[in-house]
Amino acid sequence: MGLTGLEIYKHLPKTNCKECGSPTCLAFAMALASGKAELSACPYVTDEAKEALDSAAAPPIKKVTVGTGDHVVELGEETELFRHDKRFFHPTGVAVLISDTEDSAAKAEAFNDLEFDRVGMHYVTDMVAVKCDSGDAGKFKATVEAVAGKTEKAMVLMAEDPAVIEGALEVVADRKPLIHAATGDNYEKMTELAKNKGCPLVVKGSDLHNTAELVEKVVALGYKELVLDSGARETSQVLADLTQFRRLAVRKKFRPFGYPAIALTTKEDPREEVIQAGVYLSKYADVVVLKACEKQQLLPLLSWRQNLYTDPQKPIAVEAGLYEVGEAGEESPVYVTTNFSLTYFIVEGEVESSRIPSRILSVDTGGISVLTAYADNKFSAETIAEAIKKAGLEDKVKHRKLVLPGHVAVLKGTLEEESGWEVMVGPREASGITKYAKENFG
Amino acid sequence: MIIIGERINGMFKDIGGAIKDRDPAPVQEWARKQEYNGAHYLDINVGPSSAEPVEAMKWLVEVTQEVSDLPLCLDSTKYDAIEAGLKLCKQPAMINSVPAEMPKMERVFAMAAEHGAEVICLAMNEEGIPKDADIRVGLAAELVATADAFGITPDMLYIDPLVLPCNVAQDHGPEVMRTLREIKVISDPAPKTTVGLSNISQGTKNRELINRTFAVMAMANGLDSAIADACDDELMAAVASARIILDMDIYCDSYVDVFKQRNR
Amino acid sequence: MAVEIQKEKYRSKVGEVVLGATKDQGGTRSHTITVGGESALPFLHFEGEIPNRPVVALEVWDMVPDWNPCFEQYFGDVYNDPAAWAKKCVDEYGADLIQVRLKSADPDLNDTSPEDCAATVKKILEAVSVPVIVIGCGKAEKDNTLYTPIAEAAAGENLVMGVGELENYKAVTSACMANNHVVIAQSPIDINICKQLNILITEMSPAMSTRIIIDPTVAALGYGIEYSYSIMERARNGALQGDKMLGMPMYGNAGFESWRVKEANILTEEQPEWGEQEERGILWEATTAMAYLQSGIDILVMRHPEALKVIKGNIDDLMKDNSY
Repeated sequence: MGLTGLEIYKHLPKTNCKECGSPTCLAFAMALASGKAELSACPYVTDEAKEALDSAAAPPIKKVTVGTGDHVVELGEETELFRHDKRFFHPTGVAVLISDTEDSAAKAEAFNDLEFDRVGMHYVTDMVAVKCDSGDAGKFKATVEAVAGKTEKAMVLMAEDPAVIEGALEVVADRKPLIHAATGDNYEKMTELAKNKGCPLVVKGSDLHNTAELVEKVVALGYKELVLDSGARETSQVLADLTQFRRLAVRKKFRPFGYPAIALTTKEDPREEVIQAGVYLSKYADVVVLKACEKQQLLPLLSWRQNLYTDPQKPIAVEAGLYEVGEAGEESPVYVTTNFSLTYFIVEGEVESSRIPSRILSVDTGGISVLTAYADNKFSAETIAEAIKKAGLEDKVKHRKLVLPGHVAVLKGTLEEESGWEVMVGPREASGITKYAKENFG
Repeated sequence: MIIIGERINGMFKDIGGAIKDRDPAPVQEWARKQEYNGAHYLDINVGPSSAEPVEAMKWLVEVTQEVSDLPLCLDSTKYDAIEAGLKLCKQPAMINSVPAEMPKMERVFAMAAEHGAEVICLAMNEEGIPKDADIRVGLAAELVATADAFGITPDMLYIDPLVLPCNVAQDHGPEVMRTLREIKVISDPAPKTTVGLSNISQGTKNRELINRTFAVMAMANGLDSAIADACDDELMAAVASARIILDMDIYCDSYVDVFKQRNR
Repeated sequence: MAVEIQKEKYRSKVGEVVLGATKDQGGTRSHTITVGGESALPFLHFEGEIPNRPVVALEVWDMVPDWNPCFEQYFGDVYNDPAAWAKKCVDEYGADLIQVRLKSADPDLNDTSPEDCAATVKKILEAVSVPVIVIGCGKAEKDNTLYTPIAEAAAGENLVMGVGELENYKAVTSACMANNHVVIAQSPIDINICKQLNILITEMSPAMSTRIIIDPTVAALGYGIEYSYSIMERARNGALQGDKMLGMPMYGNAGFESWRVKEANILTEEQPEWGEQEERGILWEATTAMAYLQSGIDILVMRHPEALKVIKGNIDDLMKDNSY
């Protein structure tokens, strides 16, 4: 929603001169609010009014990008407080922290390994943060250079001494790293550095109010590629501040908070740290920085990110095809279902808990469930028979038996004719699969 | 949608008689009945012909509050009667109503601010009811801006775009719908909207059908409340259904009962 | 620059439900637990009251469970003794309450009789002093025969019993009504059914409206968690905006669901690119629980003691005041 009539009215001269064609300034404001008039019709409009109207047309949260080439991470442009109202757009950037006082080469190696394949998707830990704990500009620069040599992923440079950042930027400015952070003490110099090199800049306040103030100062210096950090580090306060950033930006179009936000973990225990990062990821952080860098620690966090940022309006599909559950062999049973992810996962879970190695043939129904797809003719004798061929099932198993979802038992006859396979009618609900498997294949 | 139960009005014969005889029974029966059927406010109107509006208002407020905890909507063109009623209300009430006319707005908004009351604002002025939506919205904006000067936030206001009977002023219908939509761009928070629902069907056949059709159409255009007959079951069912379709309530099979039983 | 803090104005709040009963109240618990009562979104203390912290239960089965071998070291010595198992969960692992799953009642497993199930529940009540949740084996027909004997044997204890479903809620609700227990109303990731079921239970007895716990069915991380998450967010928003039939505290089996999936169980050797199995499993469960805390859950049922520990720590952190 743009500006309201009353908000516009506040910026008008309130002289009721009628030169715009409206009887009063208030009527003109209402005409502007509902898009029936142009601001230029008012001969006395101020620059301030123009600016206010322009910013109302901008998206509530600005897009900010970090990194270059294939490794660009896009942040911001969010419009919602709840994913069910529409969707969340740019997944939170997950940054692993490397200190310039630890074995940075080893950690950078480990970081490079933090990519995962899961349910037909590829999850990437997309950012690496290098932090100056040494206080030594030379050491930080060398560490940044070494890390940059190991990975092309987007970087975050963390130091509050502009001289330290300046040194590091000499080697990685062209990678467009995110600079953390401009503070009340250093913002003039930090803004100048960021602006000259075209790098995004975190503005770190001491609380919400101070952050808003500082953002306005940085914007007044002519720079808007910003990311917010309220300075809070206690889980509960960070949650509150991130919520305020999002609410004020989306609901109130409060310009100082119209930027993406970053959150830093504090927990030393990696489990606690992952959960703390999870809270920030759930509630509105656009970047999360954490120290944990083991595979088993990042996989759950990246899976949650993937789940949270799916589009609720779109059925989510797994890749159609043949999946193995356990050490499936030539005699293992074959279950048929659709490629609606929820259906597939539930079937997979049940097949797995039967502890009988099996295959699941996921038929491309455009990501809709068994009964809906059946009604829509997308889960039919033809589509299933075609999927059998496409998956090369005949070469994978010796038997010629398929387990069909009980809800579509009616397909049995035509499917047998169409495919030449024997069709066994399975349970109607996935929850019956374990028992069914034990009885038939145990 | 917020339903303001219309039935305690001296215009109705039983209530008029009750006021005259100071017989609380009919008033209290209607208070209970409307509350039971899901009204959120009870409109209190001494009727056009009351000889002693201040005393009648005070009495109606008192006897109604004896049997119902619902907030009241004090309905009169006599502001002394409203003010006397406001003083007796146990919880924040609603004032019904004020047009976009200067001395009246000052009087009403001052007493609303003092008593923390909500106000029904009429999109009309000395020149009468405009047909054109732009003019109605302009009047609404004036009401909002004036209330703002009294420290009354827009969400305390219910703008009534004013409805005329559909058999005599058919061309007003689309304008009212547009007014309801555009009132929402006046301010943030936006003022709420209300209508006197049964005005639309004065002098027509099928009054109830017209009323509930109008109700759901107006809701789709953003209507927040209506002064209406809470005991019209078909109307309440239509409103409950419209709330589901507009995603204002979460569906369940018993949604009509849930809507009606909110007060119980 | 003074920022105008955004607080939602809600019309209502989540209802409070008391679990367990002390001696004075006719039971034998050392204390009761109250859940619900929120007048704000999860942990947003700045806009309302969060009078009761979410609580965390550990699950106990009445038979040796087919769980991942990594649980042996925590529970292996008590797998055969549900009472000792429950006691260990409370004394050693810090569970706020216990959930016993009467798995052995399954006709395809031990087909344990209702009387023996009731006896198991009694033993657990004697072994621990915290409130207890009792759920059946998951086969409705059999479970319906368990509720009344258990409810009667534990009369006065204010158990939480479940589960009631849309097609099958009367037996468990009657048992709870007659003996003053709390019922779990389970809906299959469907907010409309969730609401309807609460209405039907309340119609059986209006007094039950403060004795219902919503189980919206919580999927595991990676397996549809976002559906449950959004349904819970919608339900909680509805409750705060005055929808009383969604205004009950929420509950979920985060442990049970998480440990059904491949990501928690597959051995390190079989899937080295996913990292170490037990640690992965703990975080799979804890991350699932974390997400549900953020969408408004009031009672979490966990399985791994280490996951419970990290989640309790997270709740401690989140319960700190953040008003401005």
